[in-house]
Amino acid sequence: MVKSLKFRQLVLSNRLSSFGLVIVIISVSLAAAFAIFGGHITPYDPFALNLQDSNLPPSFSHVFGTDFQGRDVFSRVIAALPIDLGLPIAIVLLSSVLGIFLGMTAGYVGGLVDEVIMRITDLFLAFPTIIMVLAVAATLGPGLVNAMLAFVFVWWPPYVRLVRGGVLEVAAEDFIAISKALNSSFSHIILKGILPNIMPSVLTYATLDVGTALLEVSILGFLGIGIPPNTPELGVMVGSISYGLYTYPWQALFPAFVTMLLVIGFSFLGEGVREASDVKVRPYILFKGRAFEEVAEATTRVVAEH
Amino acid sequence: MRDLFTGNFGIDPLTGQTILSEILFYLPNTLELALFSFIIIIIVGVALGYLAGMHFSTFRDSVARVTYLVSWSTPMYLAAIVAILLFADYIPIFPSGGMYSLSITPPPTVTGVFLVDALIALNLPAFVSGVQHLILPALALAFVNFGLISRAVRSSILNVRWSTYVKTARAKGLTESEVRRRHILRNALVDATTLSAVIFGWVLTSTLVVEELFAWPGLGQFAYQAIFSNDYPVLIPIVVVFTLGVIVANFVADVAYSILDPRIGMGAHGEVT
Repeated sequence: MVKSLKFRQLVLSNRLSSFGLVIVIISVSLAAAFAIFGGHITPYDPFALNLQDSNLPPSFSHVFGTDFQGRDVFSRVIAALPIDLGLPIAIVLLSSVLGIFLGMTAGYVGGLVDEVIMRITDLFLAFPTIIMVLAVAATLGPGLVNAMLAFVFVWWPPYVRLVRGGVLEVAAEDFIAISKALNSSFSHIILKGILPNIMPSVLTYATLDVGTALLEVSILGFLGIGIPPNTPELGVMVGSISYGLYTYPWQALFPAFVTMLLVIGFSFLGEGVREASDVKVRPYILFKGRAFEEVAEATTRVVAEH
Repeated sequence: MRDLFTGNFGIDPLTGQTILSEILFYLPNTLELALFSFIIIIIVGVALGYLAGMHFSTFRDSVARVTYLVSWSTPMYLAAIVAILLFADYIPIFPSGGMYSLSITPPPTVTGVFLVDALIALNLPAFVSGVQHLILPALALAFVNFGLISRAVRSSILNVRWSTYVKTARAKGLTESEVRRRHILRNALVDATTLSAVIFGWVLTSTLVVEELFAWPGLGQFAYQAIFSNDYPVLIPIVVVFTLGVIVANFVADVAYSILDPRIGMGAHGEVT
């Protein structure tokens, strides 16, 4: 427990990651609030057409202005949060579960199974992600579940590689060999011995990956493929502007900036966590601001004590 | 199957032209855009990562890190829209779309790459117009994609900065700039090379959004139209071409890697590495 406390302190002591954490917490709670209370927490109904008020510039009554159908852009941005956060999180969650399962099998069983799984993974890695997602999503037809499936279809290979590498490293440790000699059950070794050791790297990667997935989901929406039109999704909102860009730029700019802010939240958080867990860099974070003599003196004291 | 390798993709059911001729028409434009912004990405990315790594944990490091994290978190369409609004509408110094001005007589097609063709035909106005139209989409592409390179360069600099062989190099009496150039930066470049293949793949696929917004007649726009009109006979060859692009980029990166890192051989001298 001491170790995890230090880890938490490191994440919070890093200004980048605490800033990211704040954005993530605020946006997730807003998304949850909208998912529970619906239109009651937004200033206007995000779905109701109001053609009298169409294309209004930002003002005090409509903070982000209104779109071409008179809907309040700010309300629609809030309505988009459950989709824009839920979809990437679901994609990353499903991909990582698939990746952990395949990666553990490949790394632990080895041999022909490993060979087959890794070659298939390499095959999928060779395809450019967004093009494949577009092709699959276009085949499956519009729909949020279809869009998610299209993403999972191409999103899992990096996780297999990450997990397999970790498993190979951990499985070579002495405690696994001893555990095997003690006749521990297969599931015991996997769940208690190997999984906890690879989870930190998977979690770090996944945090950054949620941001990337969010970007790609919104690009899918922007191009108008996979995600149904008129869905309150940030990319769709940006994409619906393409012809009125010079006259009504706010309709595209505000959703686009919100997308950036959300991704920044996950990137900053992930980056901070990654750095805090990097063994090579950690000493220099811990000793930051201390004079060289002070560190040297402490080092000699520690060495003398042993 | 043989048709796949001979490039016989069939005929586009929408336009009636052969798909190969359409791809060969669009591909050079995309390559021109992607390569130009790729060069910007490498220069800016490595410089920023080096700056951040060498000034670890200082104010400059924080600024550089926030810059590349913001760059990497920016949606492609935001960069393109802001670029259009700022530099084509608000301060109209660059054209907002297209590949050359309509008033220009385009040079005869030799290589298919507009700028090269303009140079071959010694058509200076066309060349200038081509560059003007190229800068804005290339910058938008570069802004979104340089973050990963910076991050990799920074973290590999952090990995070697305090390592024993850098200390050895200093102890040998090399000057500080020599240590930085030959031992620290070179090492960082090795990591950046592998990554640059990934980046090139990203740049290629990002053209999908950029070409749509900047009305750039490239493969990305062609792919977008194919997807939108459910034109699968065209879409499949496009996916093949994009994938080939990524694979070729990976191959080039591997070769460059073996040149930069003396420990990795190509297996030509019978050494197993």
